[in-house]
Amino acid sequence: MYRYDAIDAEMLADRVGEFREQAARRLAGEITEDQFKPIRLMNGLYLQLHAYMLRIAIPYGSLNPTQLRKLAEIGRLYDKGYGHLTTRTNIQFHWIKLRDAADILQHLASVDMHAIQTSGNCIRNVTADPYAGAAADELDDPRVWSEAIRQWSTFHPEFSFLPRKFKIAVNAAVVDRVATRTHDIGLYLRRGEDGSLGFEVYVGGGLGRTPYIGPLIRQHLPAARLFSYLQAILRVYNRHGKRDNPNKARIKILVATLGAEEFTRQVEAEWEKIGPAGDLPDTELARIRGAFTPVAFETLPARSAAFDEARTKNPAFARFARNNLRPHKKSGYAIVELALKAIGETPGDITAEQMEAVADIAERWGLSDIRVTHEQNLVLPHVKLDDLPQMHAALAQTGLASPNSNLISDIIACPGLDYCALANARAINIAQDIAETFGDPDRAETIGELKIKISGCINACGHHHVGHIGILGVDKKGEEFYQLTLGGSAAEDAEVGKILGPALPGPKVASAIDQLVEVYLRERNDGERFLDTYRRVGLTPFKEAVYADAH
Amino acid sequence: MKALTANRLDDGEVIFLGQAGRWVERFAEAALFDDEDAAMAAEARAKTQRTLAVDPYLIDVAPAEGGGVAPVSYRERLRALGPTNHREHGKQAEGGEAVEALLHATGAARSKGRVDLIRRK
Repeated sequence: MYRYDAIDAEMLADRVGEFREQAARRLAGEITEDQFKPIRLMNGLYLQLHAYMLRIAIPYGSLNPTQLRKLAEIGRLYDKGYGHLTTRTNIQFHWIKLRDAADILQHLASVDMHAIQTSGNCIRNVTADPYAGAAADELDDPRVWSEAIRQWSTFHPEFSFLPRKFKIAVNAAVVDRVATRTHDIGLYLRRGEDGSLGFEVYVGGGLGRTPYIGPLIRQHLPAARLFSYLQAILRVYNRHGKRDNPNKARIKILVATLGAEEFTRQVEAEWEKIGPAGDLPDTELARIRGAFTPVAFETLPARSAAFDEARTKNPAFARFARNNLRPHKKSGYAIVELALKAIGETPGDITAEQMEAVADIAERWGLSDIRVTHEQNLVLPHVKLDDLPQMHAALAQTGLASPNSNLISDIIACPGLDYCALANARAINIAQDIAETFGDPDRAETIGELKIKISGCINACGHHHVGHIGILGVDKKGEEFYQLTLGGSAAEDAEVGKILGPALPGPKVASAIDQLVEVYLRERNDGERFLDTYRRVGLTPFKEAVYADAH
Repeated sequence: MKALTANRLDDGEVIFLGQAGRWVERFAEAALFDDEDAAMAAEARAKTQRTLAVDPYLIDVAPAEGGGVAPVSYRERLRALGPTNHREHGKQAEGGEAVEALLHATGAARSKGRVDLIRRK
């Protein structure tokens, strides 16, 4: 993991000191809210419905146990004992006081953390594959590239006041686990025909009011030329992005307006001008790469007697193993998904006690490596099969052994109207209703992979456009209604879902999902996921089932 | 009928303008304005109080079925109570008749707070 050097530490200390003074001036009335707001936002501090919210960056979702324990301490000291993981792999605390904010930033700085790039019109927290360093299908470690982008973009004077916020994701595996094509820039590391490493560059994806799946603008960008190319893209955006209308200011609108071809032409022309001088020196990339030295895995057999025995004797462990384990590149190890989706709980919420338990578990059995996923879950990327039964027992004790990873109750939900000042409707209660409707774990497994994503407003923090089933909260004269979309995907086969029909009142949503699932179970062929069946049979049978009463 | 609400600068707490120009945390103690001009004057005055209230705005309130008054907008009732996923958090944790009345109040309207926020954004 990358550790901050003396320069990083000094920069953070300066930043905390600066914010402490700014907050004090605001509290003393020396500056107005209009003057202070952009300052607090640049430090991740939002004012929401019930209190301030502090959004803390977790670059490419990577945490060590010391950092997670610090987050637990902050949750306990300054919040109500819990935090909320976001779809940008950040963590939010929802009950923060302005008078405490500088102290919290100081706590964070002591463990190489901060709230920079979690708000404002800058390059936001870079996301990457949560299975980095563990996935068998990985070409290179995406954390190296993500960390380099983080360092390059932090306080970058040219890109700190973009037309709108800007999100970059890096995927270096065959499977897309970062929703690459829903980003302003999505980078997909591939080998070229000559075997060299390069990026497929997608630009202009995004969700929100106007969803787009990002078009490919360059098939094979030599990896060493990444930074000059990023600079060229951002320069074209900075120059032509619509600053006069926030709803049309994202790069996706520029790309769609110019057309991918013309946009690409302008980027390539700019890139030509910048030349290799805009690239990262090899020595710098090597320095960063040095922080991500491959883990010294033990040589282990592919089978583990302890693991096999526990699967036979303990049905709860067997279920967890079926749903929450992923193959690791080294034999005898597994990647473990910790779904923060216990039935009836808030998606992505984690208590201070659970944070401390995960920190202990990661130290004991997980090589001290913890990841946050954009699906609001945690991952322990390196666990020995031999250790899994013991680890599962420890997880179960603290309510972290939900065996529903990737199933219908593994739902993304934004905080919605329960917390967010922008929301139209609640999202958490809808997720809870659905999870409870499908609380029978056998039925959930029969249904298989089904990604439900819920947003409380059109800003789409809950990624509803790319849910297999998407749910969008809308405001109908002050009442909470929900519009359903079907057929979205955030994976390699990325697609924006289609609207099913008129919005439904909140209490009817879970039963409508049940009707959709029944159609799927009736229509599916062997091996088909919900999404596959939908793509084969189309919207009509689903629509008929949900709106039958209306006819 | 209207009430004036904001978030307190120091800690973000939801507050309402109470009697004698004092800010209070409980909706039940909020001053109610029958007169539109008086309400707007209170809002204008609150906007000058830089160190107390952030982004004050007027909300519509109406008689509630169970007695008393409640904000017409669901968003504003939620602000006056706390998040529905954690009933032990926010003002609702205190319980009592006034909280129960808000919990059971009905009615729907767009919140001016949200509309203003979107406009400013």
